[in-house]
Amino acid sequence: MEAPTVLKLKDISRTFGHVSAVRSISLEIRRGEVIGLVGENGAGKSTLLKILSGVEQPDSGTMEINGVPVSFRSPNDAVRAGVGVVHQEQSLFTNLTVAENLDQRNAGRIGYKNWARVNNECVAALKKIGVSLDPTTRVSDLSFVDRQMVEIARAVSIDPNMTGTPLIILDEPTAVLEQTETAVLEREIRKLKEIASVIFVSHRLDEIMRICDRVVVLRSGKIVSDKKTSEVTKEDLFRDMAGGVSQTAHAIRKRLPEGAKPAIEVHELARKGKFKNISFTARPGEIIALVGSNASGREAVARAIFGAETYDAGTIGVKGKRVLRWSIRKAVQAGLAYLPAERKVEGMIAGFSATRNIALVYQGDGASGPFLKLRKLAEAAQGWFDRLEVRPNTISRPLINFSGGNQQKIVLAKWLNSPYTDVLLLDHPLRGLDVGAAQTVNAEIVKACENGAAVILIPDTIEEALEMADEIIVMRDGGVSARHDMRKTNNLTVQDIVADMV
Amino acid sequence: MQFVLPKEWKGPAALIASIVVLAIVFTFLNPRFGSLENFRNILFQVAVPLIIIVGTTLVIQLGSIDLSVQGIMGAAGMAWILLSANTRLETDYGIWAWVIGIGIGLTLGLLAGALHSLIKVPSFVVTLGTWYIGLGIGIILYGDAMLPSLKSDVLMAWPTKLTLGLPNAFWLAAVILGAGVLLSRYTHFGRGVLAIGNSETIASNTGMPVHTIKIIAFTLAGGLSALAGILATMQLGAGSPDLGSGQLFTVIPAAVIGGTALSGGEGGIMRSAVGVFLLIMLNNGLVLAGVNPAYQSGVFGAILIAAIVAVARPDRGILKIEK
Amino acid sequence: MIDMTEKSFEKASTPGISESESAVIRFGQKIAWSALAPPLVFIAMLLGVSILNSNYLGPLGISIATATAAPIMFLALGQSMVLNIGSIDLSNAAIALLGALMLALALPPLGVGAFVLILLLVTIIGAINGAIIGYAQVPSFALTLGTLAILQTAALVVSGADTIYVSENRELVSVLFEKQILNAPLTFWIGILTAVILWVVLRYTILGQNMTAMGKNELGATLSAVPTRRVRIITYALSGFMGGLAGLSIVAQAGSASASGLGSDLLLPGIAAALIGGTSISGGQTNPLNVVFGGLTVGFVPIAIQAMGLGAQAQSLVYGIFIILVVALTTVRSRDSIIK
Repeated sequence: MEAPTVLKLKDISRTFGHVSAVRSISLEIRRGEVIGLVGENGAGKSTLLKILSGVEQPDSGTMEINGVPVSFRSPNDAVRAGVGVVHQEQSLFTNLTVAENLDQRNAGRIGYKNWARVNNECVAALKKIGVSLDPTTRVSDLSFVDRQMVEIARAVSIDPNMTGTPLIILDEPTAVLEQTETAVLEREIRKLKEIASVIFVSHRLDEIMRICDRVVVLRSGKIVSDKKTSEVTKEDLFRDMAGGVSQTAHAIRKRLPEGAKPAIEVHELARKGKFKNISFTARPGEIIALVGSNASGREAVARAIFGAETYDAGTIGVKGKRVLRWSIRKAVQAGLAYLPAERKVEGMIAGFSATRNIALVYQGDGASGPFLKLRKLAEAAQGWFDRLEVRPNTISRPLINFSGGNQQKIVLAKWLNSPYTDVLLLDHPLRGLDVGAAQTVNAEIVKACENGAAVILIPDTIEEALEMADEIIVMRDGGVSARHDMRKTNNLTVQDIVADMV
Repeated sequence: MQFVLPKEWKGPAALIASIVVLAIVFTFLNPRFGSLENFRNILFQVAVPLIIIVGTTLVIQLGSIDLSVQGIMGAAGMAWILLSANTRLETDYGIWAWVIGIGIGLTLGLLAGALHSLIKVPSFVVTLGTWYIGLGIGIILYGDAMLPSLKSDVLMAWPTKLTLGLPNAFWLAAVILGAGVLLSRYTHFGRGVLAIGNSETIASNTGMPVHTIKIIAFTLAGGLSALAGILATMQLGAGSPDLGSGQLFTVIPAAVIGGTALSGGEGGIMRSAVGVFLLIMLNNGLVLAGVNPAYQSGVFGAILIAAIVAVARPDRGILKIEK
Repeated sequence: MIDMTEKSFEKASTPGISESESAVIRFGQKIAWSALAPPLVFIAMLLGVSILNSNYLGPLGISIATATAAPIMFLALGQSMVLNIGSIDLSNAAIALLGALMLALALPPLGVGAFVLILLLVTIIGAINGAIIGYAQVPSFALTLGTLAILQTAALVVSGADTIYVSENRELVSVLFEKQILNAPLTFWIGILTAVILWVVLRYTILGQNMTAMGKNELGATLSAVPTRRVRIITYALSGFMGGLAGLSIVAQAGSASASGLGSDLLLPGIAAALIGGTSISGGQTNPLNVVFGGLTVGFVPIAIQAMGLGAQAQSLVYGIFIILVVALTTVRSRDSIIK
C-alpha cells in the first residue's frame, strides 16, 4: 500500500509585478518522504517556500495538506495546518531558553508558566529527533548547529495533538555549518522520516544525493525535473539546474588595453570565521565575479574591501597603494562604490526623495562650499531619470514609493553620479529586478567598465557571471575553490561552476 | 527541580561585589555607616524606588520606556491623602483611598499602554504625556488650599515601624519585588515581555498576544508607580504633587546599571533592584562621608556613564547603530 | 528605543512590489497634514483664546508668552536637531542652566567677552556628548541622562546653591529682554532668526542633508559614506550652543541665575515643544520653522488656560494631553512598523 499524501500542490503560480516567480507548480509529497529541492538563486525556491509557509499567497492554484484543502493567510495558519519551517535566518528568541523556544503551544497565553512541564515537553520533543540538549540553556549560549536542532525540533513539534503527518521544510539548514556539524544534521534529518515528510533545500548536491529520496529541480519558476535520487546523477542535476544550455553568450564590450595598473589588489585577505586566503586583482575595465553560495563568504569580502567590515590578515591595495586604517569614507574618497544586497535597509534612504538620494555621495556643481543648489541637484537627478528611464518620472518622490527596479537604478545613479567612482562593488545588483530594469542596470555596468571602471560583481545567478565577467572566482566555505579566466576559456559551463561551489 | 534555577546570576555578581566594597569603604570613612540604624535607614530609603523599578524593568525589557513615574506618583499620592484622614478635608474613605489612588496609576498606565501598542505612538512620547497628565492631576488636587497632612498617627508611623527588625516600608517593597520576580519568571506574560524585547517580529509571528502583554506591562508599571506615590506620601506625612521628584533619574540608571539594556530583551527585576541598592547606598554613604547631598546626582551620572561605556565596549563595530 | 528603521523593512523586502496607488495618496496626505499641524494647532489655540477672552491677546499677553517661549524655543530647536539625527539630548536644559550661571558670573569681569566664552564652552560640552556617543557607541538616552546629572551638580558647585545676580554689565544682557519689537523681546526674535538659519542648514547644506539622512536610516547613510560620527558631534555641539542661547535668554529676563530658579525645569517643555512642532522622535523628520510654533504653543498654554478660566493648575494636564494628541494625530505610521 502506498503511503498517504501529505502535501499536494496543483498549478500554484505567483507573480511579482512583471516577474513570474513561480509558474504552475504541481507537486505531491507522501508520508515519510524526504524531497530535495534544488535550483539556482532566483529559480523560485524561496517564493515556493514562502507560499508553503503562509508568508506569501499564491495568485492561483490549490494546496492540500493531509488531504484537506488549505489556504494560508499567515504563517500561523501554516503552523496550525502542520507545516513547520526551519528558516535560513534563525527565528529563535536568543534571550530565552531552549524549552521556551520550543513551547509553541503556550504562545497565546499569559498566565502561570509550568516550567517543569515546559521543560519536560522540551526534552520529549528533542528526544523525538534524537537530540539531547539541556532545556534550560539560553539559546544565545548554543552553537549554531544546536540552534538549528532547536529549530528543527520546533518545526517537528508543531502540534502534538495533530492527527496528520507534519511537513517539515528545511531551508538551507547546512549553509553555515562546518563539515562535522553537517554530518550530525544529516543523521537527524534521516531520522525525521519516521515521523514527518521533509522538504530539504540545499545548494550542496552531495548532501541532497545522500539524504533525499526524490529530487525536484526548479528553473525559472517551473519544475523541470522530479526524479528518484537513485535514478539521477549529480551531473544530471547540474544540467537540469542550468537548463541544458552549456554556454551563455558573453556580453560584448569594448576592451581596454591590457596591462593597466590594477584598480584593486587583494592579497591573502582573511577574517576569522568568514573568509580566508582571498587574493585577486581587478584592473580598469575588468569585471571580476565572485561566485558561491550564500555562506561562501563573498559578501563579507566585498564589505571588507569597502571598509565596512574589518579584516584580520592580508592586504588591500587600491590603485597601487596599500591601504591602512581603511574606512568607508576613505574607500569612497579613493573611488570605491558599494551596492549592497539589502537595498531597502542598506542601500538607500527610503524616506528621502530620489534627488536627495542621488546627491548623497557626490554633489558636483550642485554644491558650492557647504551649500547645496537644489536646482542643480534636481537637474542632475532628472538627467539620471532620463538616462535610466526611471518610472514614475518624479524626482521629488520618496524612494520608498518606487518599485524595486527603479530604486536600484537610483541607487546606482548615486554612485555613478560621482566622476571619481572607478571601482564598483556590486552585491546582487539584479536582486528582485524585472527584465527591463535588469537590462538597464547591466548596460550601466558595462558602460562604466568601458569608461575605465573595475567591477567586482556578486551575481544572483551563474549565468549572470558567465555573461558579464572577465574572471570568475568561485568561493566555497570562505576560501577560493576555483578561478576561471573567461578571456582564455570559451567552453566553461554552469555545471562546471556549480561543481566548484558544492 | 533542576530546571527551575535561572542561569542569570553571573552578571549581578560584579554589582554585589561592588556593593560590598562600597560598604567597607564607607564604613571606614564613617563608622556610623555600618550601624544597624543606618542599615534600617537605607532600607527605608530604598523602598520607594524598589517598588517603581519592578514596573520600569518590565517596560524597559520590552524595549520601550516609561517616563511617567513621577507624574503618577504625584497624582496617586495626592488622591490618596485627600481621601484618607487629613488636615484639609474631613473625609476618610479608608480602603477606598488606596483603591482610587492605585486606580489612577493603573488607568494612566493602561492609557499609555493602549496608545503605544494599538495606535503606535512611541512610548517615549506617550509616557511623557502621561507624566504631565499625572503631574497635572496632582497639581489640581493640591490646588491653592493648605498643605494636606496625614492625621492618622498609625499611618504616619507605619513605614518606619519595625517588623522583625526591618522597617515596614521595606517589607512592602520586598513583597512587591518578590511578586515581580515570580511574575517575571513563572508566567508566560513575564517571559513574553523578554521575547518581545528580543524580537517583536518573531513574537507576533509565533502568535504571542503582543498587544496584551505590552498593555499589561504599562498598566502594571502605572499601578506600581501609584503605590510608590502612596508610600512616599506616607513617609513624608504630607501630600505634594512633586514628591516623586528625582525618582525617574534613580530608577532608569539603576535598571541600566543592573544590566537591563534600553534596547530590550535583557536584564531582570532582581538585577535592577541590586542597581537601586547600589545607588541608594552610594547616596547614603556619601552623605555620611560628608559630601554635600547636592553633589550626588553628579556621582550617579558619572557611574551611569562608566557603566554604559563598559557594557558597550566589547561589541563596538563599524556598522553598529546605537541611537 | 527610538529604533524603527531596520525592523520595519523586514516585511517590505518582497521583490518588485510597488505600493498601491491608494497607499501612496494616503501617505502623501499624511505628510501634508503633519507639516501643517504645528501652525494649525497654534492658530487654533489663538482663535480659541480670542473668542473666549481677547484681552489675553493684548500687548502684555504677547510679551509674557513670547518671553516664556524664548528659552523653550532655543532648547526645542536644539533638541529637534538631535532628534532629527535619531538621537536625543536629555542634557540640553542642564547645559542651559549651567550656561546661565556661568554667564551671570562672567559678565561682570569680562563684559561682552563673556558671551563668546560661555557660548564656546557650552558648544564644547555638547560636542563631548556627541563624541562619547559616537566613539563608545552607547545609547544617547542613557549617556545624556548621565551628563544631565553631572551638569546639574556642576551648576550647584558653580553657584554654591545661591542666586547669582549680574552685578555689573547687566545692561549688556538685559537689553535682549527689555528691547521689544511688536511686544516680543529681542531674545524671541533671535530664536526666530536661528530657526530660519537651522531651516536653511537642513534644507540647503550638505551637512543638513547628511543629518536627515542619518536620522532616516543611519546604516544606509554610513554605507553611503556619510561621516556619521562627525555629523553627530556637530549636531550635539549645536544642541549645546542652543542651550547656551537659552541660558542667555534666561539671564536676560531675570537679571540673575540660580540652579533652582528660572529655567531650572525646561527639559520637558523643550522636548514637548519639539514634538508639538512636528519633530519625529524616531528621527529623520523635523522643520525648525514648525518647531517655532511648537515653542509658541507651549509658551501660550498658560495664557490659553487662563482664558479658558481653568487656573494655572491645569497647565501640566493640558501639556500632557497636547503632546499625546498632536503626536498621535501627526505620526506617519505603517501597519508593519515596530514602534518602541
